[in-house]
Amino acid sequence: MDASIVILIVSFLLLLALNVPVAVGICLATFVTISVTLGSAEIAAKIIAQKMATGINSFSLLAIPFFILSGLLMGRGGIAGRLIEFASALVGRFKGGLGYVNVLTCMLFGAISGSAAAAVSSIGGFMIPEMNRKGYNNEFNVAVTTTAATTGLLIPPSNIMIVYALVSGGTVSIATLFIAGILPGILFGFSLMAVIRFTARARDYGSEESASLAQIWKSFRRAFLSLLMIVVVLGGILRGVFTPTEAAAVSVAYAFVLSVIVYRKVRTKDLPEILLQSGITTSVVFLLIGTSMAMSWILAIENIPQTVSTALLNISDNKFVILLLINLILLCAGAFMDMTPAVLIFTPIFWPAAKAFGMDPVHFGIMLIANLCIGLCTPPVGTCLFVGCGVGKTTLAKVTPKLIPFYYALGVSLLLITYIPAISLAIPRLLGLN
Amino acid sequence: MNSLTARIRESLVRLLEWTVIILMASLVLDVIWQVATRYLLKNPSSWTDELATLLIIWVALLGASVAFIRQGHLGVDFLTNKLRKRHREMAAIAVQALVVFFAGQILIYGGIKLVLLTLLTQQVSPALGIKMGHVYLALPISGFFIALFALENIVTGLRRLRAKSHTD
Repeated sequence: MDASIVILIVSFLLLLALNVPVAVGICLATFVTISVTLGSAEIAAKIIAQKMATGINSFSLLAIPFFILSGLLMGRGGIAGRLIEFASALVGRFKGGLGYVNVLTCMLFGAISGSAAAAVSSIGGFMIPEMNRKGYNNEFNVAVTTTAATTGLLIPPSNIMIVYALVSGGTVSIATLFIAGILPGILFGFSLMAVIRFTARARDYGSEESASLAQIWKSFRRAFLSLLMIVVVLGGILRGVFTPTEAAAVSVAYAFVLSVIVYRKVRTKDLPEILLQSGITTSVVFLLIGTSMAMSWILAIENIPQTVSTALLNISDNKFVILLLINLILLCAGAFMDMTPAVLIFTPIFWPAAKAFGMDPVHFGIMLIANLCIGLCTPPVGTCLFVGCGVGKTTLAKVTPKLIPFYYALGVSLLLITYIPAISLAIPRLLGLN
Repeated sequence: MNSLTARIRESLVRLLEWTVIILMASLVLDVIWQVATRYLLKNPSSWTDELATLLIIWVALLGASVAFIRQGHLGVDFLTNKLRKRHREMAAIAVQALVVFFAGQILIYGGIKLVLLTLLTQQVSPALGIKMGHVYLALPISGFFIALFALENIVTGLRRLRAKSHTD
């Protein structure tokens, strides 16, 4: 048993080091491990093919391609401009106002689209030059946008939560996870705003013109149809009108009407490319899911989650210490790995340990996702950070020092989310979700 | 000759891309139809969710082959970026070789075994009566395209390496 763990980990790390696509790395490491354990490469190939095919054959996973597609449609459909206008009217008047506008827009965008990388490019593409023009430091602006964009992964709808619901073995509902993410997402956003407040005072950043009630109302009306999407999707899921997959399909229809017919930012001839792009993004996620299903099968056969859990509980039987340990390991993993594979790989490994002292699976999932959000903004590998550097035409080395205060802020929020279950669970309980 | 292979390659990629586009569009219309029949016509259709789960297998696998062509899969390039250019190119060729192995061993070989086994057990989807063995054909077909384009990458990579060592 010990040998197979070593084979799995070593072969996986070697493959990753070589820059093999992560899904292929997961698959081949699993293949080698099963081949050695069962003594047959043929059986290994058959098992993996079967786990891949059945792993992606699920109706609840269908929400993922739909949310990707509606996010693409909305992103190109000119919502960013309207949301920025609305956010400026609300929070632009404060010192360092454009920083707050940036964070608030990312949070609103996250409630509509849910792709953090898309938030960085479409909001950053507008906000970073604007902030530069008003004398804000370019690298600071990139740091704000990069970290703020990750709030969208906690604020529903969020594809990573659908992935987590799948790997948690159907013990948690997607709807509950969605609702549980709201407060942690807002907490992340507020902690970033706190950093902006300090920086704006230290560097004496200016503020925007204060908007009158009439102006706020006007900007709200212009953003209204975009914001209505939030009500349609979340309201529909919450009231049990739609399953998450149906809500996602409705959001595609809504995004189509809005961006093609109402806002007229997306032309009919752009649609094939948008469909193709969403198909490709979907397939990358689904290939990861399929191969991870095979990996978690061999993990379970070899009893590895139990082994890890026992090992962790041997280090300490203190809940606080173990959760801290899990968070530290995840932060390190998140620095190198993208969010989806990290959730797929680490959920089955760490969940038994957390379950051992009675943690709620919804709370665990939110902690996991909040943790890995930070990983999206940390070098050496951080999807949001890469996009942000591209948009701000700067380098990782220049942005990283500006990110440090934001890391502290997000770190404190993560600790709060980890040790205060109510932040995740209060709203779902209030609404009577399990 | 070369322009002919280039043209064949181009039309293959086009074909794959349009298949993904049409499958994605059908997927969206299918589930919207499901919602419509349930809430507007009050007469839920019985086959839409089943069709959707069959379609998604094809979207995911054919989309994966397009993603391989466009090099869109997530990797960790932190270490290989630190290599010298020549070594990095060699590593890239090794990666493509591993992709060929993955496609051949798992998707094509394992996939065909899965197709045959499922056909043997005569498993059919309950509402539509489609043989699941045929649905799983997505694995070997996608594997074929992934292997094909990875092999092409290996050939061009090797050519580039050889051309470089001549000029050095």
